[in-house]
Amino acid sequence: MGLKKAFLRLATIGLGIGLMTSAALAANLRVLAWDGYADPDWVKDFTAATGIGVDVVFIGSDDEIWAKIKGSEGQDFDVFAVNTAQLQRYIKADLVSPIDITKLPNQKEVLPRFRDLSKVSGDTKDGKVYGIPFCFDSIGLIYDTDKVKPAPTSMSVLWDPAYKGKVLAYDNGEHNFSFTALTLGYKDPFNLDAEQMAAVKARLVELKRNVLSFYTTADEAQQIYQNNDVALIWANYGQQQVKALQKIGAHVAYVNPSEGALAWLDNWVISKGVRDNAAAEKWIDFMLTKKVSGQLSERTGFGNTVVESSSAGSNDKLVWLNNVEDPLKRSDMWNEIKATP
Amino acid sequence: MSKAGSMQPRERRLSLLVTVLAFALPVIFVLVPLAIFLVYSFFSVDQGTIVYAPTLGNYVRFFTDPIFLPVFWNTIVLCVSVAVICILLAYPAAYFLTTLRGRWRYALLMLLLVPLLMSYVIKIYAIRSILGLNGFLNKALVAIGILQQPSTLFVFNMNAILLTLSLLLIPFAILPIFLSLERIPQTLLRASDDLGASGLQTFLRITLPLSLPGVASAASFVFVLAIGDFLTPQMVGGISGFTFGRILYSQFGTAYNWPFGAALSVALAIVVICAILIGERFGRSRGTSV
Repeated sequence: MGLKKAFLRLATIGLGIGLMTSAALAANLRVLAWDGYADPDWVKDFTAATGIGVDVVFIGSDDEIWAKIKGSEGQDFDVFAVNTAQLQRYIKADLVSPIDITKLPNQKEVLPRFRDLSKVSGDTKDGKVYGIPFCFDSIGLIYDTDKVKPAPTSMSVLWDPAYKGKVLAYDNGEHNFSFTALTLGYKDPFNLDAEQMAAVKARLVELKRNVLSFYTTADEAQQIYQNNDVALIWANYGQQQVKALQKIGAHVAYVNPSEGALAWLDNWVISKGVRDNAAAEKWIDFMLTKKVSGQLSERTGFGNTVVESSSAGSNDKLVWLNNVEDPLKRSDMWNEIKATP
Repeated sequence: MSKAGSMQPRERRLSLLVTVLAFALPVIFVLVPLAIFLVYSFFSVDQGTIVYAPTLGNYVRFFTDPIFLPVFWNTIVLCVSVAVICILLAYPAAYFLTTLRGRWRYALLMLLLVPLLMSYVIKIYAIRSILGLNGFLNKALVAIGILQQPSTLFVFNMNAILLTLSLLLIPFAILPIFLSLERIPQTLLRASDDLGASGLQTFLRITLPLSLPGVASAASFVFVLAIGDFLTPQMVGGISGFTFGRILYSQFGTAYNWPFGAALSVALAIVVICAILIGERFGRSRGTSV
């Protein structure tokens, strides 16, 4: 008999908990982010501080974010992370809401370069703010401190005949055109006219003759570094790549070139279908606290917008990646460059 | 009689079903995709979206653009070289296998085929670290005294692709050659010996001609596998080892130009089909004369 009563009580409690959680689920903030942007301990702290529950869905590619947000016309998520090059596409498709930065007290405390969002290309449209930057990494230059002296300051060193056959470059036409355009002093490396394209192409043919190989994954670059005489690496994977190399005992250092380093910048944005705008704002503000931002950099190796990190010094010039004028054209020209004997 | 007659329609229906299935699988999984590819090669791309209006533009571009044909020829030459190297290395190995007796023969054959069980990518990674400037090959050559200092002769260039592909594809050459050698009747060899031919004469006039079908199919195997490979050139080819497979691959990845990629694949498919036909023709005509 006692057993039956206990069992019944247990069932009642179970039902109660079930109802509570389902009620909580209905009001939970729905976050879509890359792995590393919404760690469980932060979510726990956020819920403890604000009383707002959070459901996080992780994604693995830019295309996946687009598919998820566009597929539901923004109704399935409240807040999501997207980079500046992608953001304009979402604004154009009317999938994101403007953000009132007066509701984000922590945004006033961010690093100087992120304070005026109208100066961060891609974050605003028609004077309205759509993205709050929180995480970035530059595509800098890794150099072997034993082999490259003095320390390089510009990507132009990749063309230096002294390092012929010791340069590792990245196998991607888009980025290679952009960074070479920067070394040539062009203002907008993402929109090149025909004449500039031809000049960049000629430079890239010269670059090709100076490099050992073009790599695609960070892993691959590391393996090539270990088995060959490599002095310079164009670091598509930025800080992560440096740290991995240092871990295996390589004497390498990282520098953002003086002509400007290409860099990606991820933003928190509020979707069109947001259910509770205030909760979304609280989440973004929470992510901009010194504690969370600092931990983000510690854990991922990426830079953050609040605390100084090794991704970029305060004087480093960063050029946020943007959509290029004609990806197909750049890819075709990149093939031509590779086919040039 | 009548009973057998009543069974017939059902049997016929069953056999019809089996026939349809037997044809349906290759049609659905091989012919239809190939046909789709062929159709796509007549489309074009504008601003990142495919335009479904028929055009010959892709083929015109392939034949007129100065970059594609040279790379195409170079790749064919490369793959023919790979096939030749594989045959030259595989023939002695296969011949040696046939001289072994009983269990040893198959144990050794299995050992030679073991690399096929390994992942392709892992093998390329391994070979790449062997070929590297600080890799095993260079270290060994310097240690023996053949080289004064590590050489870049087989680091990230066409030679590297040639070596890597040959190494990867040798098992595919050994097997057909071994099978054709094994099929040569021992009586023929003994008769030749009885008639006073030397070992070399027997080999040149009996063994070699009779094994040529195996050589032909081995060569076409290796050639076809080599020419379709983009991963090896991508990973060990570096800057000078630019092959047709890499161009093709880039059309589907970064360029997002599927129609042009399809046209390039059609060009590649024609070469592959020719290679298979030649290999088979050569193999069969010799085979029937035995």
